[in-house]
Amino acid sequence: GHEARPHLLADGPQFPRVFNATSGALFYAFLTHCEQVFSPALQSLLQAYAKFSGAPLIVNTINNCRRAPKGDLPVLVSEDTVVSQPAKILNFLRRQKYNADYDLSAKQGADTLAYIALLEEKLLPALLHTFWIESENYCSVTKPWFASRIAFPLSLYLPGKMSREALNRILLTKGGPPLYSLTEVEAQIYRDAKECLNLLSKRLGTSQFFFGDTPTTLDAFVFGFLAPIYKVCFPRVQLQEHLKQLPNLCRFCDDILTCYFRLTVSDGRQPS
Amino acid sequence: MNLGFLCSTAEPWPENAALYQQLKEEQILLSDNASSLAVQAFLQMCNLPVRVICRANAEYMSPSGKVPFIHVGNQVVSELGPIVQFVKAKGHSLSDGLDEVQKAEMKAYMELVNNMLLTAELYLQWCDDVTVEEITYPRYGSPYPWPLNRILSYQKQWEVRRKMKAIGWAGKTLEQVLEDVDQCCHALSQRLGTQPYFFNKQPTELDALVFGHLFTILTTQLITDELSEKVKNYSNLTAFCRRIEQQYFEGHEKDSSTTAAHSSKRSLLR
Repeated sequence: GHEARPHLLADGPQFPRVFNATSGALFYAFLTHCEQVFSPALQSLLQAYAKFSGAPLIVNTINNCRRAPKGDLPVLVSEDTVVSQPAKILNFLRRQKYNADYDLSAKQGADTLAYIALLEEKLLPALLHTFWIESENYCSVTKPWFASRIAFPLSLYLPGKMSREALNRILLTKGGPPLYSLTEVEAQIYRDAKECLNLLSKRLGTSQFFFGDTPTTLDAFVFGFLAPIYKVCFPRVQLQEHLKQLPNLCRFCDDILTCYFRLTVSDGRQPS
Repeated sequence: MNLGFLCSTAEPWPENAALYQQLKEEQILLSDNASSLAVQAFLQMCNLPVRVICRANAEYMSPSGKVPFIHVGNQVVSELGPIVQFVKAKGHSLSDGLDEVQKAEMKAYMELVNNMLLTAELYLQWCDDVTVEEITYPRYGSPYPWPLNRILSYQKQWEVRRKMKAIGWAGKTLEQVLEDVDQCCHALSQRLGTQPYFFNKQPTELDALVFGHLFTILTTQLITDELSEKVKNYSNLTAFCRRIEQQYFEGHEKDSSTTAAHSSKRSLLR
């Protein structure tokens, strides 16, 4: 007989392979918190995790959200089970023994959770800003990209909605006294993001992955966050410039791209 | 960031340093109490004495709208993060002995506590209908006459719910929130292990933060015991709280300083 392989259904904006690998910007906590904003790109993170854990995953894309079993994507289908919501998908893969964290100690498991919280609090706002709020970036890269891959008439409406939700999230969580203007909030979130990148670099040191020689959930998450910053050609790139001053993080991304996504790393610039 | 404190390194810690929070017995809520206790613990650990002053309008006096805040000399600084920076500028630090990797880890765990524990506390007190009706509404507006008390409560609830929605917590059920608390406590328990403090022999701001939240959860009476039960499942965490209480808070019997088991609404730490 042939063993049933889990199928991952993902929605419309199917990025080309390169952008795919580099745009998975979300990890566990972010997935559960911000599914609306980044749902088209979630599959990239899940793909990275699947590759690390060895899960045989086939990615199918469908262009119409209504055809997904429960209406929200991405969705994992395995034999008779349908699992939606990325957090649950990760749990499902784990229970099927596709566990990238199998060899981690309890303390390392705890560290994973803590670093994920750090990424969500300190790096995510700047990432959202780079993609969705910085107007040059949004107008010249993000919006055309998404709009070209979502069916009409959603393409007229959805990118704007995602942008507004990103701004809303940032203002509600990071705005407020003593920061009174958007400029001040922006300055603060980029300061936080740069500090977070510095902390990640210190934590990684000279190791290949965050917990030794094999990649784990934390590596998938960090990669998911760093890759878009590193690879996407935005007009405004202050985060990318900062990241390039941290060579071990760049090396970390390049290693994963070459080993797990079988992409050749040229000069680091890939057209989106 | 309060840049004023960069000029104040030469001044010693004044005797009349004060910490402001809401009224302890009637008004303060779980999350604010936790934050205030964390700052008090931190200052105790640094050996910097501070008087606790309770004012009904503490939230409005604060420069960031959040409690607690400290008034030192002519500087006013609110929230644990900025207070740690401020104290560091004055030459006191608990985390200087840590190496870079440990510092990164400390910051990550502090974000974990803020991300999961603090948010869960806010959820419980503003989004759980029973708790809101029976505890939060009566307490939050208690210093003010009707209808101001109700208006202030509704306004605050609306703000908190808006934020919960933006970060995706609005759709969670109470069970899911308690699950998150459990996951967080599990991680903290694993990280602490059998050590006295998170970075072995000496406490850091992380210990102060964890103590503030866990101790408050353990000693605050809510509608049910579900929240405190989650913490009690981990014996090393309750021992940790007891240890810090004994070391840094016992022997301070004066009414104006912090005592761990003070409010009539709290059951004593067993």
